[in-house]
Amino acid sequence: MSADPRAPERPSGNELELRGITKRYPGVVANDRVDLTVRSGEIHAIVGENGAGKTTLMSILYGLIPPDEGEIRLGGEVHRFASPRDAIDAGLGMVHQAFKLFPSLTVAENVVYGDEPRRRGLVDRAKARRDVAAIAAEYGLSVDPARRVEDLPVGVLQRVEIIKALYRDARILILDEPTAVLTPQERDALFVVLERLRERGHTIVFITHKLGEVLALSDRVTVLRDGRAVAELVTAQTDEHEITHHMTGREVALTQRPAERTPGEIRLEVRGLRVEQGDGPPLLDGVDLEVGAGEVLGIAAIAGNGQNELVESLVGLRTPDAGRVVVDGQDITTDTVAARRRAGVAYIPEDRHRVGTAGAASTRDNLLMSYQRESRFQRRRWLDRGAVDEHATRLIDGYRIRVAGLATPVGTLSGGNLQKIVVAREVEHDPGVLIAEQPTRGVDVGAIEFIHERLVEVRDAGAAVLLISAELWELRALSTRIVVLFEGRLVGTFDPRTTDEQTLGLAMTGASQASGAGPGAHR
Amino acid sequence: MSDTATVPAHRRLRQRLVHGLLDSPGATSIILALLVGVVMIAVTGNSPVEAYTAMVQGAFSGSGLRNTIARSLPIITMGVALAIPFRAGIINLGGEGQMVVGGLAGTLVAIELDAPSFLVIPAALVTGALAGAVWAALSAYGQTWLQLPILITSLLLNYPARALTGYLVRFPFADPTVTSSSTVPVPPSGQIPKLPLFGGVSAFILAVLVIVAVVSIVNRRSVPGYETAMSGANSRFSRYGGVDVTGQTVTTMLFSGAIAGMTGTYLVTGETMRFLDGDLVASQFAWTGLLVTLLARHRPWTILAAGVFFAALQSGGLAMQRTTDIPWQLSQVLQAVVIVAIASGFVLRWRRDGGAPVDATGRVETERPTDDAPVGEL
Repeated sequence: MSADPRAPERPSGNELELRGITKRYPGVVANDRVDLTVRSGEIHAIVGENGAGKTTLMSILYGLIPPDEGEIRLGGEVHRFASPRDAIDAGLGMVHQAFKLFPSLTVAENVVYGDEPRRRGLVDRAKARRDVAAIAAEYGLSVDPARRVEDLPVGVLQRVEIIKALYRDARILILDEPTAVLTPQERDALFVVLERLRERGHTIVFITHKLGEVLALSDRVTVLRDGRAVAELVTAQTDEHEITHHMTGREVALTQRPAERTPGEIRLEVRGLRVEQGDGPPLLDGVDLEVGAGEVLGIAAIAGNGQNELVESLVGLRTPDAGRVVVDGQDITTDTVAARRRAGVAYIPEDRHRVGTAGAASTRDNLLMSYQRESRFQRRRWLDRGAVDEHATRLIDGYRIRVAGLATPVGTLSGGNLQKIVVAREVEHDPGVLIAEQPTRGVDVGAIEFIHERLVEVRDAGAAVLLISAELWELRALSTRIVVLFEGRLVGTFDPRTTDEQTLGLAMTGASQASGAGPGAHR
Repeated sequence: MSDTATVPAHRRLRQRLVHGLLDSPGATSIILALLVGVVMIAVTGNSPVEAYTAMVQGAFSGSGLRNTIARSLPIITMGVALAIPFRAGIINLGGEGQMVVGGLAGTLVAIELDAPSFLVIPAALVTGALAGAVWAALSAYGQTWLQLPILITSLLLNYPARALTGYLVRFPFADPTVTSSSTVPVPPSGQIPKLPLFGGVSAFILAVLVIVAVVSIVNRRSVPGYETAMSGANSRFSRYGGVDVTGQTVTTMLFSGAIAGMTGTYLVTGETMRFLDGDLVASQFAWTGLLVTLLARHRPWTILAAGVFFAALQSGGLAMQRTTDIPWQLSQVLQAVVIVAIASGFVLRWRRDGGAPVDATGRVETERPTDDAPVGEL
């Protein structure tokens, strides 16, 4: 094994080796004799579609689930992790996709939780803050240790998670889909941090399915497909096509814009929408929107700039303090969720686990939600099981949802399949207005392509589509127009064909606004 | 170096127990309780086989069967009563208060209404149901109007229910001829008759079977039944899908209180014939019913089976005390072990799921909060 020039102060060779890792679940082999070799001081990307076994592999590595077969070697030594505690003690640190932080505690308290510095038997909060500040400064992770976690944006929370791992002396950092929840600016900042970690001799395992990130950041790549490690590549010697080919076994093109369509009459109209917030500035302030039939209106905004309040006001999960929402000429501002759905509003929520599905409930029941009161699913006022099953079967087939049966709880499905359940259910309503919030977050390339096709079909059927996405390429690929929301106000309208990501990204930070506005929630 | 076979036996046992409590808490808890019972009986120098035989015989043969069935009726109806909101993720701890208030209201109708039996008995049961529903409605509207958690208000309302009925039977409706605080006896026209079945069980058994069957069918086949199950699985999902979760909170609580109130009425007009202060509370049926619901995971027919099991444990325990040297308190110990085992199952699941906050409609969130569950990824 040759020494890696980037990590001179570490023993050369393989920091981490997984050999023949196998994990079986009833009916599936989640990991099938997976080998993984990570060298000291490298950034190693693990890519694969949803359901390829990435998350299972990392859960095994981190001691969350025991493998059926195979072994884990750290620095050549065999380890067996019965729990994450063992993995942490061996020098592993994990940054999960869903952050595991206490909202009401400060950054410093979250970081030291479980390993608190003590003085005379009590937690030494001052030392905790100093330690955290020191780690933050060393790695360029700008975080204020005294801030409460609930007040911080997602990008900062991720830094807190990284500091948490470093505080426990992690040599190897595992990041599970770290960019899924970040804005482009936050993503770039993360990459700078990761490169600095590499310079300091840390080893980084980076799980993703975004190829741009793999190419920009990693030294080597392992590709998983259907539970097997199908390729181990040196990033400098490969390209997007080769990796995609290994991931999917075919070619995909996502950024091509679908055929244009001229928008028709207005179907969704929003006037002067305002949502107040206790003592702070309004969360939404005088938002006006018009979306026509056959139009996709893209909304670009950094998380926490009012897009959630806008969507909630549209779908009926919140009553705005002022303003009107009109669908096909009908004022629905104060209607219930059910009445809005009858008026033709369908909604793909950004959080498919907490809002879009009930994990413990069956696939059949998840696909029935929002249809159950329609007469075609009832016979003499009781649920017509035949119609319910027929509906579910048709959606599963039509949307190529990979699920064992109608009774299978959806909590066992991979992200892509779960999202298809949500999309299938909402699109099947044949909506007049479709609100699609992060419709492809955290799903694989194949599913993204499929979901995009469905959104375009809905558009072509004459619906007004409102697309909220953190992926600027997605907004540019699908939208007829893009509006930018900043601190609750619309600050600009852009033509996606002539606007690049930099311009949009800048507008999202409020830079195009002369006034600059008050203290922002970010940094 | 793959050596799953060399995992120590105690660790494998622990793993199996943990999985059992997660996947099938009812059966695992009962087996665990019976095993603990074996150890306890053996320690006192008695034969576990003999003791359990005595218990089973005492519970199911001769008059034992009638006792077991009579005891099981209120346990089953209270179990079903609490299961209705529980299935929607709403925890009603006020079964006792609803039962007591309904019991007194129904009893008063049975005493005061001068009419033939076929009118008095239904009128008393319906009045009991209405009064129980009103008591439950206090908690329901407290939640939907004032955001007071049902879990807490329903529990606390048990105390005023006791005090109110205690006052009423001590003063306005007291029987002046007796020293105890109780109403006058229910006249024959208000008494629920016995059936010539299993040596004379109350005709209320028919109502119990109807309640179990109707709730079971409504759960599985109706739109509200579907919506209730979805709210229990994930109330945010329900709300997002257009379910009126506020209305659902009220409706399930009303039905819950109604069945509890009806049970209270039956316990007086079908069994004790007098509403005696503290009697219904001392019976502990509301709490046994809660236990049965947890054990049966709110499925009506399973509640029926579990209700019979607990009733058999209690009546069998008394019989065992008569024929062996083992005190009937063993039954209570077994019941306690079941409770502890079920509770640990809940804690295990709670820890696995990373905590379960209660949301604004009084529901405990039970769905997994993590993205892309590591286990069983397909």
